Amino acid sequence: MSSATPSPDPRSHHKRHSILPAVSQSGPKPPVQFSSSCTIADSALLTGPHTIIVSTESVIHPRARLESLGGRVTVGRRCIVHERACLGAADLQGRYHKGSPDKDGRSMGAVTLGDYVTVEVGAQVESGGTVIGEGTTVGIGTRVGAGAVVGKHCTLTANSTVAAGEVIPDYTVIYSNGLRRVDKRGVSDLKNKAQARQIDVLRRLIPSNPAKFQ
Amino acid sequence: MFGNNRLPAFHPGLTQSRIRDTTSGKSLWFPGLRSPPSESSSDPANDQLPITPEDYFYDSTPMAPFNPYTYIRCPCSELNPYAKRTPDVTAQGLSRAAQDDDDHTFDPRAARSNYSLYPLEYLSFCEDCHQIRCPRCVAEEIVCYYCPNCLFEVPSSNIRSEGNRCTRSCFQCPICIGPLAVNHVETPPDPNQLLSPDHATSSHNGSYILSCSYCNWSSTEIGIKFDKPNSIHMQLAKLRNGGETRLTAKERKERRKEQASQGGNGGSNQREEDLDTVLDMETQFANLKSFYQNQLSDANGTGKAGGDASAALGNLGFDAPASLSRIMSLYTGSSSLHDKKSKSRPGTMREALAPSEGLQLASLDESSAITALQDFESTTGLDAYSSTASTSQLQSQAPYLGASPLHGLTRFTSSLRPIPYLLRTKRSKRCPQCRHIISKPESKVTTTRFRIRLIAGNYIPTITIKQLIIPGLTPPPMPNQPPDTIAPLQPAQFVLTFKNPIFESVRVTLATPATTPGRFPAKVTILCPQFEIDSNTDAWEEVLNTNNTPTSSSQNLSSSTGPEGAPGGRKRAGTLRPGTAGGASLAGEELGPEVGKVWDKGRNWTSIVIEVIPASLVQTAKRDGKGPIKEDEDVLEIPMFVRIEWEAEAPEDEIMPGLGGAGKGNNKEGGGKEKRELAYWCVLGLGRVARTL
Repeated sequence: MSSATPSPDPRSHHKRHSILPAVSQSGPKPPVQFSSSCTIADSALLTGPHTIIVSTESVIHPRARLESLGGRVTVGRRCIVHERACLGAADLQGRYHKGSPDKDGRSMGAVTLGDYVTVEVGAQVESGGTVIGEGTTVGIGTRVGAGAVVGKHCTLTANSTVAAGEVIPDYTVIYSNGLRRVDKRGVSDLKNKAQARQIDVLRRLIPSNPAKFQ
Repeated sequence: MFGNNRLPAFHPGLTQSRIRDTTSGKSLWFPGLRSPPSESSSDPANDQLPITPEDYFYDSTPMAPFNPYTYIRCPCSELNPYAKRTPDVTAQGLSRAAQDDDDHTFDPRAARSNYSLYPLEYLSFCEDCHQIRCPRCVAEEIVCYYCPNCLFEVPSSNIRSEGNRCTRSCFQCPICIGPLAVNHVETPPDPNQLLSPDHATSSHNGSYILSCSYCNWSSTEIGIKFDKPNSIHMQLAKLRNGGETRLTAKERKERRKEQASQGGNGGSNQREEDLDTVLDMETQFANLKSFYQNQLSDANGTGKAGGDASAALGNLGFDAPASLSRIMSLYTGSSSLHDKKSKSRPGTMREALAPSEGLQLASLDESSAITALQDFESTTGLDAYSSTASTSQLQSQAPYLGASPLHGLTRFTSSLRPIPYLLRTKRSKRCPQCRHIISKPESKVTTTRFRIRLIAGNYIPTITIKQLIIPGLTPPPMPNQPPDTIAPLQPAQFVLTFKNPIFESVRVTLATPATTPGRFPAKVTILCPQFEIDSNTDAWEEVLNTNNTPTSSSQNLSSSTGPEGAPGGRKRAGTLRPGTAGGASLAGEELGPEVGKVWDKGRNWTSIVIEVIPASLVQTAKRDGKGPIKEDEDVLEIPMFVRIEWEAEAPEDEIMPGLGGAGKGNNKEGGGKEKRELAYWCVLGLGRVARTL
């Protein structure tokens, strides 16, 4: 895609199993603040001029994109960001929104994930002061619009959309083309425990290379 | 023989609608996708199709590629289809109508034709009647009932007693119809009981729930938990929303007795009962039933004292005194007697007056529902509308007698109960005439095989259509038209390839009307209306047998791949085998098709050419004054009568006397061979005619 005749890559002799094009790191390398216990795959994509913060025990899968072009990206504790998920994405028109400044005049982050958040495969969280609350699952292929504030322990099922600037109350389930209901199971503690166990497994499976980004 | 797995799943809804729309021309047209490259694809005019966005939607130039189709008419749509075709004196009108039906060409555009035309894959074949059978005319029988979720078969006796839903642990989510899973819940340890050893027993009680992994609904939302993870259906039937158990019939009887003994002390006590008591449906019904039974026994007692006629009838079961008196007045006819009787009667039944008698006041006060809506909005921040149950949600609810109010059934999603899975069926099909089974699936639920499956594709030849393009002879494709569009008022040729599925060689006779019926008549000529198709022998057999003739063996090898790679601009001389109908005299030049000669021939297939000259749509529409060209009227459809003859080996049982049916071939010859024939109408959808002049 980038060039018509790809120059022979010295590392290309090993067999690639993915059908995706090779990861191309483009754009500015962002300043990062990684917790010592986080897991970040070698082929994760981090771009942008602003800081990217990954907190304790969070897992960033290979080919996950974290873009700080619109502002700071913060990943809370024990979060999982899956393959091809994008935090701080541009909106459908290709614009990176900036978060509105808070009371102190400092810029809000572009994307803020609370603790125990799961962003599943191919989900897009647009930049622009978007906040995803604790324990929320952003389902496969879901798009969370710029400036949306998703509450705690919500479930956004696969391929749902949250409009820009929308405020989703806690424990909301968005399902079946945008229908909404309240999760009354009261199993958020259990889910958090399960998340911790899953992270234990993932840390063993995904080789972490935070040094690449620092 | 039954290994043909191209049979599509039969959709009952499709039979009534136009199947042809789903199987042919209506597929989407992608700009990058072209029809298979034909010989003229080098033509520059064909390569640059200016496709504008308007073209996709503009009616007069539909850009969807047209897939030629063949539909076969089932004989069941004929008038009096199963009767013999001898003129009957008694039913002259009917037989004349039937003969009219025979004499007229079949019109594929007639409104009724829609119901009788099927793709070959949808049709079955009765081996005993030697006739095509369609999904509309076969009789279906249920082989077994099974649950689509757990795939357990349910015996039909259980269906009668327990209904048509799975009675094990299979449930659908009442919110999103996703499958529900039984989950164990860890009850959080009570801080008071932290040190007590019986923590296990406390969690044992009600520790399983049904939960939906998609929308996160769980049965705790309606206050229901289960003691054990199996036979959820039985447990759920006993539990009402909120977790309280339903009264058993025994308990209800006891409770009523208690009330009766209390009410027996003072007669007016019942009136003072709280009229707002909410009864669930079954309690109300039981109360009403016992009340009316009491009333009847009282009334009958007085009736017996009053007149012996009513007493005699009372034994017959005409128990209601009111109806009895009405009947009696009808027969006696004397109003004076009636008056006397009604005077002597102490009074007909009174109505139920208290909840213990089954009186349930309709709650017309909706304020509680309104406040519930308002509360939902204020507590959750979601739209109140989302807390109300939709029509489809309410309809998919299984009837539940334990539901509390009869009036004003619940309208909130918060009280929907899990839906036990509806059972499904496997069905066998029978011939409507001879009652023989045409299709019978294996009765085991998990197998998808069939014991009997007589599909028409194994008996009658398939017909595939391809436009014939000969460079130099065929006019170049029209500009600004999708490929394969037929030019009006110009001869267009199509290759019909008949592929024989049976192991005997088949003689085919074709007939079409000279002009197609309908608004835009096209002239049709079948260049070779009579031909033979070789038998469907083993593909290797012929190759091995014809080693000594190199030309024909190479031809066989190429043709054994099937007729797909057929004619086009191939040299006809090379493709024709010696000794067949059309193979004799050709000067080796590339020529157009000849009259009376087959176009091409292979192991079990024969191609012939059909020539059409379509009418001009625009000119005809202008002239006939029937308005603009309607949807799909530009499709060139040709009715064709196909008659196939072959010699089959007579089965053993047919030689036995008395078993030779009327449908069988009459002239049996020696060696157990008999002549068979089959004739049917079919429709060839050749293509769209261009809407140019």
